[in-house]
Amino acid sequence: MYVALNILVFLKAIPEDVKEDPRTHGPTVEGVKLKMDDISRNAVEEAIRLKEKHGGRATGITFGSDAATLVMKEALAMGLDEGVLIKGYAGNNPSLTASVLAERVSRMQWDLLMFGFSSADSYTAQVPPMVSYMLKRPLIGNAVSLRVEGKTVKGVSSYEDYNVAYEAEMPAVISVAQEINTPRIPTLLQIMAASKKPLSVEQAQAQSARTLQVLGHTFPMSQRKRIIFEDTNKGVEEVAAVLRQVLGK
Amino acid sequence: MKGLIYSESAQRAKELMSFLKDQMELDLALPEAEAVQASSNGASRVYAIYGDVYEPFAVASAVVSVFDGHDYLFVPATNFGRQVAPIAAQLIKAEMESEIFYFRPEQDGAIVRRYFYGGKTLLEEKTGAKVFTVMTGLAQPAQQGSPSEVIRVEAKGGLSRVLQISGKQKASADITKADIIVSVGRGLGKKEGLELVRQLASVLGAEVAGSRPVCSDLHWLDEDRQVGLTGKRVRPRVYVALGISGQIQHIVGMRDSKVVIAVNKDKTAPIFQECDYGIVGDIYEVVPKLIEKLK
Ligand SMILES: Cc1cc2nc3c(=O)[nH]c(=O)nc-3n(C[C@H](O)[C@H](O)[C@H](O)COP(=O)(O)OP(=O)(O)OC[C@H]3O[C@@H](n4cnc5c(N)ncnc54)[C@H](O)[C@@H]3O)c2cc1C
Ligand SMILES: Nc1ncnc2c1ncn2[C@@H]1O[C@H](COP(=O)(O)O)[C@@H](O)[C@H]1O
Repeated sequence: MYVALNILVFLKAIPEDVKEDPRTHGPTVEGVKLKMDDISRNAVEEAIRLKEKHGGRATGITFGSDAATLVMKEALAMGLDEGVLIKGYAGNNPSLTASVLAERVSRMQWDLLMFGFSSADSYTAQVPPMVSYMLKRPLIGNAVSLRVEGKTVKGVSSYEDYNVAYEAEMPAVISVAQEINTPRIPTLLQIMAASKKPLSVEQAQAQSARTLQVLGHTFPMSQRKRIIFEDTNKGVEEVAAVLRQVLGK
Repeated sequence: MKGLIYSESAQRAKELMSFLKDQMELDLALPEAEAVQASSNGASRVYAIYGDVYEPFAVASAVVSVFDGHDYLFVPATNFGRQVAPIAAQLIKAEMESEIFYFRPEQDGAIVRRYFYGGKTLLEEKTGAKVFTVMTGLAQPAQQGSPSEVIRVEAKGGLSRVLQISGKQKASADITKADIIVSVGRGLGKKEGLELVRQLASVLGAEVAGSRPVCSDLHWLDEDRQVGLTGKRVRPRVYVALGISGQIQHIVGMRDSKVVIAVNKDKTAPIFQECDYGIVGDIYEVVPKLIEKLK
């Protein structure tokens, strides 16, 4: 049975890299370009695939700043129908992000909310379960496969010791694992067409009540010898000697 | 001070017990099937959860129903635990911190450490959070201790239905205890290449581990042999990385190794920044030669 699906997919824009602040020698992301969070990209891909299979719409939502516009455009180029950029993001605070996102979608019609399991910068994995809790809708987390049948969604969650197949009535909340698919790369034509897709921008009035105090933020020191051999035979010789010494042979 | 640990496995519950035992009195909550294996390791109480034990809402509600009288809830950072903990935090209206690997309670909050920016940086924070997911593989499982009082708790009220549990093959060994590890990445190219890798491992007396693509995506190795941010944290005397590019999410898992040796055919691969000895070359050329030399 085919049902047209209304899918909302959440994508996070994250810094492409971290740099060393020349003054403090600590990490900074000031002036660093944003990219689409890795597993958000898998969520976008899965949303597009479900839409292609069942018909319907897929809308991207991001809580960020103006700088996230390019990331949203990339998701539109991949195949989302429209985008919503909510401004007012002030750094990693998962319960706040969850409440902004949950509040935003509580006013909308949808069948599926799609998330990445865990983001590549803060990797808290808190946002999807929290949104699911706030909206009192079922959660299928870390899904490696998904199937929609009528009004239900079935998914297999990958856990460390076993896999669990779940079934939930829609509307439902899904977080996908990186293994679920290989995201497509948009073509130049799609990138150009994306600029005509609707992208609405709004502002969130979010207030944090978090009791968090950063005591230190540093680069972990790696004190490796970094002795590199480009001559394979010499390398094998030396490494074998090191291994023999460590092994006490 | 009193903490509650929830884990879906006795093994990981016991690891977390040793990690925390000097700091506070501990109770455990775990599925009934695992409860026996953890009921004489020094926890005051063991809550044996029965019913809908695979459904995150049902489990979070059961855990929260016994939280009263505890100061903190700790959950090993597994893919199921990472779903239960945020729901539990919301249920008790507490703040939560993820993926910590250091915990010290103080008068007015706890000092925690975790990695940030995917593992590139280290954050030390003081937090009023009560719920934590904790990286796995931080300590050896707790030894036999005093027996615990066992109390049954029902998990119910789940929002989804569990259709099927399918077992994965359990690994024969625990890589977090390995003294020497030979670890492979996507650069291995084909599953058959493992034959060669196992030969090297056998000469070295090593365990075989792998990067995420090899374990979780291609399934050349079992998932519990995955090293990294979403895998295990290992600290062997020697870590040999074969065909692993050295992305930060992998490095996080092997950073504490004593000696790191890397083989990669790309001399610009980031793993060469994170190793003590590196050989620029093809696995299929270097490894047979190494085996020959070590025999
Ligand atoms: C939230 C999140 C969590 C993650 N968690 C983990 C984790 O826990 N563990 C993990 O490992 N990754 C994790 N990753 C993935 C990580 O970012 C990398 O994608 C992954 O580590 C790369 O694996 P790899 O090095 O095996 O493969 P690649 O990056 O593809 O590297 C393969 C390497 O092999 C080399 N090579 C190819 N052929 C040969 C040959 N014949 N001989 C020698 N060298 C060769 C290549 O030069 C290359 O450097 C995570 C990512 C995210 C976003
Ligand atoms: N600021 C954000 N905007 C939109 N989606 C987000 C945001 N933060 C987190 N998410 C979603 O939640 C998932 C898990 O992120 P996290 O809880 O931060 O590990 C991500 O893969 C996204 O799908």
